[in-house]
Amino acid sequence: MNTRIVVDPVTRIEGHLRIEAEIKDGKIVDAWSAGTMVRGLEIILKGRDPRDAWAFCERVCGVCTTVHALASVRAVEDAVAIKVPPNAELIRNIMFCTQYIHDHVVHFYHLHALDWVDVVSALKADPVATSALAQSVSKWAKSSPGYFSDIQKRLTKFVESGQLGIFANGYWGHPAFKLPPEANLMAVAHYLEALEWQKEIVKVHTIFGGKNPHPNYLVGGMPCSININEPNAINAERLALVGQLLQQGLEFVEQVYVPDVLAVAPFYLDWAGIGGGLENYLCYGDLPTNGIADVSSYKFPRGAILGRDLTQVHPVDPRDDTGIQEFIDHSWYEYEGGAAGLHPWQGETKLKYSGPKPPYEHLDVDAKYSWLKTPRWKGHAMEVGPLSRMLVGYAAGNPEIKDAVTEALAALKAPASVLFSTLGRTAARAIESRLTARWGIDFYNQLLANIKAGDTRTFTRDKWEPASWPAMCKGVGTSEAPRGALAHWIVIKDQKIANYQLVVPSTWNASPRDAKGQRSAYEASLIGTPVHDPQQPLEIIRTIHSFDPCLACAVH
Amino acid sequence: MEIETVRKEETIYQHLISRGVTRREFLQFCTWMGGCIGLQASGVAAMVKALETKKRIPVIWLHFQECTCCSESFLRSSHPIVADILLDKISLDYTETLMAASGQQAEKSLRDTMAKYKGEYLLCIEGSVPMGEDGAYCCIGGKTAKSIAEEVAEHAMAVIAWGNCACSGCVQAAKPNPTEAMPIKKIIAGKPIVNVQGCPPIAEVMAGVLVHLLTFGVIPQLDNLGRPKAFYARRVHDTCYRRPNYDAGLFVESFDDENARKGYCLYKVGCKGPTTYNSCGTIRWNGGVSFPIQAGHPCIGCSEANFWDNGPFYQRLPNFPGFGIEATADTIGAVAAGAAVVGAAAHAVLTNVRKRKHIGEQAGEDAEQAEHNHAAQQNSNPSQKS
Amino acid sequence: MNASHDYQRVYVWEQPVRWFHWINAACIVALGVTGWLIAHPPGLLNGGEAAESYWFGTVRFVHFASSYLFVANFAFRLYWASVGNKYTHWRNFFPVTKAQLQQVWAVLKVDVFHSSDKPVHTLGHNSVAYFTYMGTGLLTVFQVCSGFALYASMSHSWFPQLFTWLVPLFGSEQNLRIFHYAALWAFLVFTIIHIYLVFYHDYVEGHGVLSSMIGGWKFMEKEKIAAAEGTGISGLPVRPPTAMTAPKPKSEI
Ligand code: HEM
Ligand code: HEM
Ligand code: NFV
Ligand code: SF4
Ligand code: SF4
Ligand code: F3S
Ligand SMILES: [Mg+2]
Repeated sequence: MNTRIVVDPVTRIEGHLRIEAEIKDGKIVDAWSAGTMVRGLEIILKGRDPRDAWAFCERVCGVCTTVHALASVRAVEDAVAIKVPPNAELIRNIMFCTQYIHDHVVHFYHLHALDWVDVVSALKADPVATSALAQSVSKWAKSSPGYFSDIQKRLTKFVESGQLGIFANGYWGHPAFKLPPEANLMAVAHYLEALEWQKEIVKVHTIFGGKNPHPNYLVGGMPCSININEPNAINAERLALVGQLLQQGLEFVEQVYVPDVLAVAPFYLDWAGIGGGLENYLCYGDLPTNGIADVSSYKFPRGAILGRDLTQVHPVDPRDDTGIQEFIDHSWYEYEGGAAGLHPWQGETKLKYSGPKPPYEHLDVDAKYSWLKTPRWKGHAMEVGPLSRMLVGYAAGNPEIKDAVTEALAALKAPASVLFSTLGRTAARAIESRLTARWGIDFYNQLLANIKAGDTRTFTRDKWEPASWPAMCKGVGTSEAPRGALAHWIVIKDQKIANYQLVVPSTWNASPRDAKGQRSAYEASLIGTPVHDPQQPLEIIRTIHSFDPCLACAVH
Repeated sequence: MEIETVRKEETIYQHLISRGVTRREFLQFCTWMGGCIGLQASGVAAMVKALETKKRIPVIWLHFQECTCCSESFLRSSHPIVADILLDKISLDYTETLMAASGQQAEKSLRDTMAKYKGEYLLCIEGSVPMGEDGAYCCIGGKTAKSIAEEVAEHAMAVIAWGNCACSGCVQAAKPNPTEAMPIKKIIAGKPIVNVQGCPPIAEVMAGVLVHLLTFGVIPQLDNLGRPKAFYARRVHDTCYRRPNYDAGLFVESFDDENARKGYCLYKVGCKGPTTYNSCGTIRWNGGVSFPIQAGHPCIGCSEANFWDNGPFYQRLPNFPGFGIEATADTIGAVAAGAAVVGAAAHAVLTNVRKRKHIGEQAGEDAEQAEHNHAAQQNSNPSQKS
Repeated sequence: MNASHDYQRVYVWEQPVRWFHWINAACIVALGVTGWLIAHPPGLLNGGEAAESYWFGTVRFVHFASSYLFVANFAFRLYWASVGNKYTHWRNFFPVTKAQLQQVWAVLKVDVFHSSDKPVHTLGHNSVAYFTYMGTGLLTVFQVCSGFALYASMSHSWFPQLFTWLVPLFGSEQNLRIFHYAALWAFLVFTIIHIYLVFYHDYVEGHGVLSSMIGGWKFMEKEKIAAAEGTGISGLPVRPPTAMTAPKPKSEI
């Protein structure tokens, strides 16, 4: 007998995700992923000033805040042929790296950790042993027995208060938790430290973009002017603060986040064989070092891998209208001409709900069942995200990425095949956090060098005036958001947005299946996942969380 | 597995002291927070007392049509002790962003708090509620946002609407509002609602509002739009450090021009600070590090209702409503004024052509004739001689 | 041929009305110019330091100061509309009688369409003019209300606070501002047409309209005065409609 279970809401994610799964003999045999909230941003953007689009798009998501703004200004700059000054590119790259380490650390500790860490078990830990554990994995200073003992007391008090807050009704004591109490206590301590740390690192965004979440961007460059002899501009003090924050960011990633992942992983090596799902990986690449048009200059290379074949990286062209297409066979939309799939430049967004009338028990998964469209690359379902980036970089022979991956695998004493899994996804995120934390500092040093050499430009005025644009033009802005390949396609007519389409990382991963029945990444990854107790979907959220879902992004 | 514990509720103060916060630090925090929410010294004393005697208040935080950046902003709450105290003095029993439990277990947390603390829990809402398609544009656990909001609000002590989404519908309510997104005040009636505006609101403002509620057990004084006066009584423009440049008429003409590099006023590149009520100029963002204008970008008015439709961001005034998006008031006005001038000129020519004769008839005479007539009149009318 | 030109001097615009008119005109010019500068500040002084200048603040100060004068002057005119002479009476400004509406039609035919050659002679304004000034009055009311509503957030005095209710009505200050701004153009269009028409009437009808707003006097043939008074317009209810109530020239009093 198959049991159908529903997990809705899936928590510790962004947005509204619903998973329905069919379980047979303790294993998932089929699964459906549905996004249950829509806002219609693509409809709202039509007819507006393209230079304003970044702000609308940024509000797609407050978690990966800034990446949509970046993709948006790039799309407009691509359409009207603007080349931003080098400093603007460097500042954007620094903000990008900041976003990565912030988002990844918050994901690991605050959104993902409670799938691996039994908070209640931490009450039983020995602070002295915890201290020894902590010191054996990292030189991070906050590791004394007294420190862990204080944390434990605080936790005990908290639990004894009877008001468990966010920990209430968690899956404590579930047999899928494997960590010893000491590791749990160490993780709880770092959960709290990460909470403190994350509000600091974002100050890089505040300095260049004025606030976080939702820093400001600008078509043609960045709004912050550099003037080292002015109190009202980016000067030595502002730059010093950025430098210090980036340094602290790197320290936390290298001394807390990465060691924690490496310390926890050995207890969960069975999860290196679970949750692999799709065998295709897509990556647009990002972090240009010679202008966005020069794809070969990207720190994260572009490409696709099919069938887990790491010997070949396929070229990807976001302009190719037979490449990326979106389908709506299981999505609550309508296409005017009844087309099967549409390239985003021709894309349409017309909401058409046809699901059950709420309140409902189950979705009709044979028909339409989600607000996400289903993107495909040359007809293939693709996984996007940190794992795809690391795999494409590795397969493309990018030395930095290859070294970083090899180093991590050596630390785990595991072969590359473990990457194709739930655990692999979580590890890939840590690996690239370390890379981006270092790159952020590199970009910062280049910015200083530029300023020293006398170049302080952050914005180019050519083509700022819409009157200087062609009557009709189109562009695409690609990026690698923390959750994967992100692109915005824009069509500009008479200085206004005629069409705007976003195909977002979580759209790739969380979408419903296509007409051929091919599952997208979430659905595919759940097949075969063991479920100890259907009443407690811990294993399901473990794998789903390894993607770091963002449903506000996915639907928009 | 649920943990069996005796419910020994303790006060916020006990809680803090028990985990190593010194009384001095505690008082410092109160003073700082008091300053933030604009209290007099006597008010701070009341707050100290309240925190010493109050229990952790259960909070239910619902998410509807939103981008979660209000939650994200909240996490950035900056004064070191604030992050701690928010963990320690409220009991965040339901929030999809952080809670350990999913699905049924999450639902259970919600039900438990609603049952156990009927009338005592605080309801925080992030996001708007779509009314289109009978609410199918936003469902959680198979139920519509609207039905959840109504149900949970019924026994809430008060409601906090976080951010522009919950206060005004924000970006999804921008034209043409495809999902018919509505702010919370249109959904929930009969409860005090505090509108904490901004996209997102400043972290310390969010914390400040909570502290006010928890401390005094009353909602803060609100303006006519339901916003706490302590944070929304001043325009960004009134507290903007670039204001002297504005008064001096020193303006940035274009991004990154000489004037931008000197930090002149951003009025001419579209700054909405003069019509935006927020604390960005005073509290600033992320621990007081900066705010949009300080980083060179004009304020886009993110704490105002419908700011998305209030005209392009880089143009100071919106386009004139009802004339299509191309028409600024200037184009319409210039056309009207031009038409008036041209019309008047044409009319003058026409008048001279058509009424030549009539005008002549009126005045009728050359100077000589006039003299003559005048004399004749005087003769026939001697009484009027002067 | 020519009718006899038995002219009579009639004292139409009392001194307070004339004062009102020119203060009003001056305020509108001042408000319009400063308003335009607020909307489109020129980048004249770029390169300086904030501490060295306050010109934009001064422009705004002039705008707000003239606003108070503008509103006080207007309030005075409202008062005068019930105590002044019959040409200034408030009833003239409301299109209620058949005679008024007929006159509107007649004036339009003569002045605008040029389809009739029977000029309408009036001592006060003609009805088209009265109703236009009614429109200008409403525009003034709007501009005052919207202006003070916007000003409320910059002022601590009680008067501007009386107008804050207007903001929610327009959705936001930003929206109200665009209407306040657009009204500038409405004032400009009015002024162009108004001044043209004053000259037009003076030229076509020869009643000395142009100077009447300075000296108060108009000139008109007696039978035309009788005809004008006969319509009842601008003669109506202030004082009993006894025949020929035009005041005598000052020199005779
Ligand atoms: C901003 C500029 C002006 C405005 C807003 C304005 C407004 C007005 C208003 C409201 C009235 C009616 C007065 C009343 O009934 O109390 C009026 C009448 C009059 N105005 Fe002006 N005025 C302006 C400029 C001028 C100028 C520049 C002139 C002359 C050169 C002028 C000449 C007159 C005359 C002659 C009348 C009486 C018209 C009649 O008897 O039909 N005005 N004006
Ligand atoms: C004939 C009458 C008036 C005209 C033509 C006029 C015109 C204008 C114009 C064009 C602006 C610029 C709008 C913008 O670009 O934001 C403005 C601003 C303003 N006006 Fe007026 N105005 C008039 C009367 C008033 C009155 C009676 C007040 C009452 C206080 C007033 C108060 C304001 C305020 C507060 C502003 C905004 C100034 C700022 O943001 O610093 N105006 N006006
Ligand atoms: N999916 C997604 Fe995002 C990311 N990373 C967007 O591009 O999270 Ni909200
Ligand atoms: S108000 Fe703005 S920041 Fe907050 S959830 Fe809505 S869109 Fe995001
Ligand atoms: S930058 Fe904006 S808020 Fe600041 S003074 Fe200028 S207009 Fe006002
Ligand atoms: S855009 Fe928003 S963040 Fe502040 S400066 Fe303006 S209110
Ligand atoms: Mg899309």
